Amino acid sequence: MGEKILEIENLKKKYDSGFELNIPYAVFNGNRVNVLIGPNGSGKSTLIRILNMLEKPDNGKIIFRGSDVYSSKTSVIEARKKMAAVFQEPLLFNISVYSNIVLGLNLRKIKISSKKEVFDFLVRKLKLENLLDRNPKSLSGGEQQRTALARALILEPEVLLLDEPLANIDQLSKEEIRSDLFEILKQIGRCTIYVTHDRNEAMIIADEVIVMNEGKIEQSGEKNIVFRKPANEFVARFVGVETLLDGVVIKQEGSLCSIKINGAVIYSVSDAKIGDNVMVSIRPEDVIIFSTEMADDESSALNRFDGIITEITDIGIFKKIEIDCGFKLCAFITQNSIHRMSLEAGRKVKAAVKASSIHLFKA
Amino acid sequence: MALIWEGIKQAFILIFTGNEEVYEIVLLTLVVSGIAVIISMILGIPIGFAAGLNNFRGKRFTVSVINTGMGLPPVAAGLFVSILLWRSGPLGFLGLMYTPAAMVIAQVLIATPIIAGVTLAAVQQLNPKLRLQALSLGADRIQVLWILAREARLPTLAAIMAGFGGVISEVGAVMMVGGNIKGYTRVLTTATVQSVRMGQLAMAIALVIILLILTFAVNAVLTSIQQQENKTWAKRYWR
Repeated sequence: MGEKILEIENLKKKYDSGFELNIPYAVFNGNRVNVLIGPNGSGKSTLIRILNMLEKPDNGKIIFRGSDVYSSKTSVIEARKKMAAVFQEPLLFNISVYSNIVLGLNLRKIKISSKKEVFDFLVRKLKLENLLDRNPKSLSGGEQQRTALARALILEPEVLLLDEPLANIDQLSKEEIRSDLFEILKQIGRCTIYVTHDRNEAMIIADEVIVMNEGKIEQSGEKNIVFRKPANEFVARFVGVETLLDGVVIKQEGSLCSIKINGAVIYSVSDAKIGDNVMVSIRPEDVIIFSTEMADDESSALNRFDGIITEITDIGIFKKIEIDCGFKLCAFITQNSIHRMSLEAGRKVKAAVKASSIHLFKA
Repeated sequence: MALIWEGIKQAFILIFTGNEEVYEIVLLTLVVSGIAVIISMILGIPIGFAAGLNNFRGKRFTVSVINTGMGLPPVAAGLFVSILLWRSGPLGFLGLMYTPAAMVIAQVLIATPIIAGVTLAAVQQLNPKLRLQALSLGADRIQVLWILAREARLPTLAAIMAGFGGVISEVGAVMMVGGNIKGYTRVLTTATVQSVRMGQLAMAIALVIILLILTFAVNAVLTSIQQQENKTWAKRYWR
């Protein structure tokens, strides 16, 4: 974990539309990729603008390296000069690609010659070598956003703010830029704050995840904790938990809980207490499917269910299977397994989930 | 028809044989309109930027005033300047009536709203997020203004061209405040009117041809700067 670079305390900003951003505390550490995820209108971009001091909060503090950025007028500009931002739109100026890339250096009075190595690295990595003399208007959307990324990255900022930089790019360019960008981010190791509403993007790139909704932080923390142990139903649904079931803890033995749900009992490793009303969260990739001919008795999974496949849908590299086990259980399975096991809607199957893969949170 | 051909022939003789009166008129026209456009740029471009980039109380009214000013009839500008500079007027003590300075003032009054209005429209066309991007890159207020001015440079050139076109072709105001005094305040447009009145059609045609050539030449220079900007960028960089 890197040092604390940026903190926010009691941040409030209210808009005429009624939308309010309200964040009691958040911290962004160095050498980490912090991903802000949440639905449209949840306040992610607003938070980025506030962190970049392009909008002033009504209340609260933005603390950069231990000092409040609004303590004086010059400190705002000084703090901003330690940051760089890339927005959804490339926002390039009507000057050459080269001049756009070095614009921030000129404005910050940094000698271009001192950044020769970074320049060469970025131009090569972002495939801009043959575009430097071009006017941005003559570039494709992907090339424009590559230029905007180079313009921000050449500044080697302490805080890199990326507000859905790949949102307006066609799918093919997006995949390509995404892999180049992620590679660069891992190499430069800065405090990066990356906004996206694509949870797969967050899964790939994040060290830390902050889930936002209606101007508030619903949950923040290490990626695996947020994705595997969502704090509430909103986060669970947003991070892709397909099976969410209401239940009551009926038994507690050591750390193993038995939860009664809709006619079935589910086992989970949790510190919940008997009588607690809980929500059971099962990630689809944690569900294992067996055909009825296969013996599942030797499996270590405590949760075993019999059910009937109700639907199979294509979701890209996986197929999503919905099984009626008395409750709806979702599983991800490869195309290969579908063929091998001749799975289809209406077929009886068995499903198993390890107790340690089942997460509980208070209903 | 013969009259026109004769007029054109005489016009070229006047232009290319070094007619002193014609040269004097051309020079004064360029000096008066040139100074007026420069002053109008100094006033109009910042007004256009200030009104375009900032939100303030009365912005809509200010923009309406600028737009009305763009359509200000030159005789109205002439009348206004005449009242100000008339011997018994508020600025009469300056003794500027019927001088080239009075003509410059009248032309400034005509060109400033044109330049301000076209600049304002150009600035409002800029993506407002460019300002935030400039700030985000570390620009201070002055640098932001400079970046946005550079961004709007092509339409700003169009504003200058419109302002120049507005004043060099104008006759009513300069006639009213300059008086069309031979060898002192006579410019191409007022001289043309005078020549037509006196039946000197050759002279009138010569003056109009010169006026057209001048207007074309100035606009050609500005247009070439404007179009040059759109060409390939040939900046040197290391490698």
